Amino acid sequence: MESPLPIRKIIHVDMDAFYASVEQLDFPELRGKALAVGGNEVRGVVSAASYQARAFGVRSAMSGVLAKRLCPELIFVPPRFDRYREISMKIRAIFLEYTDLVEPLSLDEAYLDVTENKKGNPSATLIASQIRERIFQQTGLRCSAGISINKFVAKIASDYNKPNGQKTVEPDEVIPFLEALDIRKFYGVGKVTAQKMYQLGIFTGLDLKKKPIEFLNEHFGKSGSLYYNVVRGIHNSPVKPDRVPKSVGAERTFTENLSSEVFMLERLEHLSVELEQRLRKNKVAGKTITLKIKYSDFSLQTRSKTLDFYISDKSLILDTATELLYQEKLHNSVRLLGISLGNLNTDAPEIPVQTKKSLSVQLKFKF
Amino acid sequence: MKFIISSTYLLKQLQVLGGVINSKNTLPILDNFLFELDKDKLTVSASDLETTMSAVLEVESESQGNIAVPARLLLETLKTFPEQPLTFIVENNNTIEINSNHGKYALAYADGAEFPNTIELEEASTTVILGDILATAINKTIFASGNDELRPVMNGVFFQFSTENLTFVATDAHKLVKYQRTDVTADQVAEFIMPKKPLNILKGILEGSESEVKIEYNVSNAKFTFDNTELICRLIDGKYPNYEAVIPKENPNKLTISRSQFYSTVRRVSIFSNKTTHQIRLKIAGAELNISAEDIDYSNKAEERLTCDYQGDDMAIGFNSKFLNEMLSNLNSDNVTLEMSVPSRAGILSPIDGLDEGEHITMLVMPVMIND
Repeated sequence: MESPLPIRKIIHVDMDAFYASVEQLDFPELRGKALAVGGNEVRGVVSAASYQARAFGVRSAMSGVLAKRLCPELIFVPPRFDRYREISMKIRAIFLEYTDLVEPLSLDEAYLDVTENKKGNPSATLIASQIRERIFQQTGLRCSAGISINKFVAKIASDYNKPNGQKTVEPDEVIPFLEALDIRKFYGVGKVTAQKMYQLGIFTGLDLKKKPIEFLNEHFGKSGSLYYNVVRGIHNSPVKPDRVPKSVGAERTFTENLSSEVFMLERLEHLSVELEQRLRKNKVAGKTITLKIKYSDFSLQTRSKTLDFYISDKSLILDTATELLYQEKLHNSVRLLGISLGNLNTDAPEIPVQTKKSLSVQLKFKF
Repeated sequence: MKFIISSTYLLKQLQVLGGVINSKNTLPILDNFLFELDKDKLTVSASDLETTMSAVLEVESESQGNIAVPARLLLETLKTFPEQPLTFIVENNNTIEINSNHGKYALAYADGAEFPNTIELEEASTTVILGDILATAINKTIFASGNDELRPVMNGVFFQFSTENLTFVATDAHKLVKYQRTDVTADQVAEFIMPKKPLNILKGILEGSESEVKIEYNVSNAKFTFDNTELICRLIDGKYPNYEAVIPKENPNKLTISRSQFYSTVRRVSIFSNKTTHQIRLKIAGAELNISAEDIDYSNKAEERLTCDYQGDDMAIGFNSKFLNEMLSNLNSDNVTLEMSVPSRAGILSPIDGLDEGEHITMLVMPVMIND
């Protein structure tokens, strides 16, 4: 691998069953029990499951009904995001003792770039064990870590010895590690892409590596060259300390499936209000409105529209969302609706300067 | 070739025709008027290749001939004469001599055959409209047309004729005017886009005219014939945007207000608006319309309150005051309505009174989004 950059040392830290572990930590009676945070027996989805529940096949994002069927003794608890956030901040403080290059992915996951670190410790493997130890001492929670030369490999490695373990993929091990890797674990490969890969005879990293870049571009479009590089250990995405949200959204699963748009309008109104609050809090506005519709058969549809200007006002959000709702017939009853706003004005760095001068945009007819 | 004509009569006609002549021409012959004499009929034409206008003048003459006379020189000379008969005599040395009460003046002329031929309209349809109505239709719409070379279709006025009405539309994508007459109809459906220059000329001539204007048109040209005058022009090629689609149908918020009061307030407040955006803000709550503007760069600020009749939700909406001013000044009614839906959709301005029977005016203006 020819890289002009010095070899980086990236750690991916992932808390083990974070929400569920926090609940078990705070409520000793839940310890050792099959636990699901979020959802309930009849409705909603599981946000997180304890390892005891995972043994039964309960996974996050699974519907409550299915989870209960898989694991009849499953206990549902409501999520307490404030508490998770509080602990997450404690953990982040520990990361920051080692490096400022911390990129949180969510409350329970982060990338750290420790190539240059505040402790002057040359071993990323040792730093990772220290961090894991400190997290356990200060919070009582376990986590896993992956250590390697880029974010992609580090993230896969953190899953390797989970829970409560860590895995280092040394620079000279990266290539064999990736070649042996199941294609489903690759960056950006979900269920659909995996199916496609299988059909093309790609099952492992090695299979992927054998395909020329033209072949990948033809079959996977823009992602083709990404796959091509990643399997060669090239993933130069830096650890971005202040990761800005790409979109802000609000969504709601209904207690009963809705079949008429008329009832949905009311829900959209609530969602618009909620979204406006979130936008206010983050001090952002966006141009692209996406309406997410999850049907009763769990199939998902998104409809979006990009405006010429940034909006953050609930009436405008509602107006556009309503337009999207009526744009096409619903093909089933609906269990979830969500509105999100993307193309945020944080993407364009020059805008904050202009906002001081009260940015205004002359609108045009859409001819 | 020789003819006698009244100096002021000729000047008046030539000044109108002179509007067609460009100040700079690539073809030098276009700097001339074409004089075509046939006994007591003198046809004078001017052209810029896109538009050709001609008028038939009555003269005293026995002869025939075609010559092209330098337009600027002739006009400048004619302007100085008091009313008197002038005799034009074409001499053999390629000059035309004008004889007045005071003396004589010689101008070099070119051969009339050099002048571009007028376009013959083939397979044309015909519609007849009263001169003053056409002038009003142009007057009400033309200010809203665009100047964007990338969208040439919007640089003209869209003529949409049907058996039920005649509709004239202009838009520059920010504002739009639809002027409709249900009291005038065409025999068949037709649509074409007229460029601005000939329309401005027609507007000037036809204002207050009781004469009937015959409009003939095919896919590429249109011809306007009235009194002694004929104007042929090339149409703007292309498809006019589907303007009906941008007229909002549901406008629950309706403001009714005195036009003159609204206009003078907008004019006054807009002096304080930002010099590039000309943005003013309308805030409507209950029966109160609050109009404000601010130029943060210079700390200028203005605010006025007006009472109005308002039905709808309280709302705040921003507009470019230039557009509002243009629209309000173009209307003649005592009262107007401004219908709105949300701050990101067009506002619809319409007059309530002062319209002729069968006359309909709809003006749309897109708002300015205020992000603060």
